[in-house]
Amino acid sequence: MTTPSFRDVEKLSTFLDGHLSQAENTRLEARIRSDPSVAAALADLRQARAILRRTPKRHVPRNFTLTPHMAGIRPPVPRLVPALSWASAMAMVLFVVTLGTNLLGQLSFGAAAPMLSAAPMTNENFGVGSGPAGTQAPAADNTQVTPTAEAYIMTAPEATAPGVTRLLPPAAVSAEKAAPEPVNIWLYIWLGLAVILIAAALLIRQASLQAFRRKVGGKHNP
Amino acid sequence: MDETALIRNAQHGDLDAFNTLVLAYQDIVYNMALRILGDEDLAADASQEAFISAFRAINSYRGGSFRAWLFRTVTNACYDELRRIKRRPTTPLEPETEDGDEVESPRWLADPNASPENQLDQAELEHAIQHCLENLPTDFRAVVVLADIQGLDYAEVAVAVKKPLGTIKSRLARARLRLRECLQAFRELLPAAFRLEEERDL
Repeated sequence: MTTPSFRDVEKLSTFLDGHLSQAENTRLEARIRSDPSVAAALADLRQARAILRRTPKRHVPRNFTLTPHMAGIRPPVPRLVPALSWASAMAMVLFVVTLGTNLLGQLSFGAAAPMLSAAPMTNENFGVGSGPAGTQAPAADNTQVTPTAEAYIMTAPEATAPGVTRLLPPAAVSAEKAAPEPVNIWLYIWLGLAVILIAAALLIRQASLQAFRRKVGGKHNP
Repeated sequence: MDETALIRNAQHGDLDAFNTLVLAYQDIVYNMALRILGDEDLAADASQEAFISAFRAINSYRGGSFRAWLFRTVTNACYDELRRIKRRPTTPLEPETEDGDEVESPRWLADPNASPENQLDQAELEHAIQHCLENLPTDFRAVVVLADIQGLDYAEVAVAVKKPLGTIKSRLARARLRLRECLQAFRELLPAAFRLEEERDL
């Protein structure tokens, strides 16, 4: 009787599970019959396996089913949504471009206005100065090359009563005329388009999300 | 619907089909994780992670034993948990008394459906097995849990732990030997159950 080697134990373990070849099986069975230590080792292994097979089974504490979120499933995005979003963005860009162009136009117009008004203004001043309204006007013309409305009135305070409208400088008159100029209609068009398109994209996205939730929500919510 | 069809549908992104598989396998997956990790909460976390990983990698399943393929993800999830515990040890896996001693027959191990006597036997047996399993190196533990507790054959165990058959045979033999030695200490507690089972097997 000899103590079985680990190789013997390994063979016995495999034999126990029925995974030895026919020839190895026959040889090992002969050894088990003849050698009590080999038979005892086999009994030990069988007992260990028998105990393990009796391990109590536990019930799951909860279901492990996956929610779409756990599974990394995102709700589908309708193809129209990115298209509408892009279109909205483009409309917004056009709005900004139009607005910028308008502002630039106004700025350049505003800057050019005093220059343009300078010449006729002096003529008018001369005209006013030579008129019955004021005797100090020519003196003022000598000191101020481009008079503002205030300066003009200050230089001719006596003219405030009856002929005030006629005494306003041409620059002020042109500013009055420019203010009520109609805003570029494209500004409204681009802005309106951008808002409508993004609202449509959001509505479609929301509807698609709700449809997705209806489809999967009931089944996977715990 | 049969398992093959469910797997095929799951591979096409059908979450319902996959969840049907989850319901079919969750008991054995959880029990395997529990035996490897020895803690209910960790086992539940590992099981959930394993199913999430399995769904994400379902297209890597190319036929053969689905159970073995699934157990590979469970084994990996358990190893991840063990690594995490090693990095950040938190609470002890066994309940302790006020003096800090380990509770021999913890109540939390008991099956509430069993009779009081049977409950005690079951709890003692489970505690003994768990204690001995935890004394094994992780690789040996995984092999013996898969082969002897979950009942996988050698080829399935080889797939599940990604090792050749020879390694599986060797690890299983060593694990059985060591478990046998360890369980000897509990023989006094569970003689009847052990002998009855042995007689039946013989």
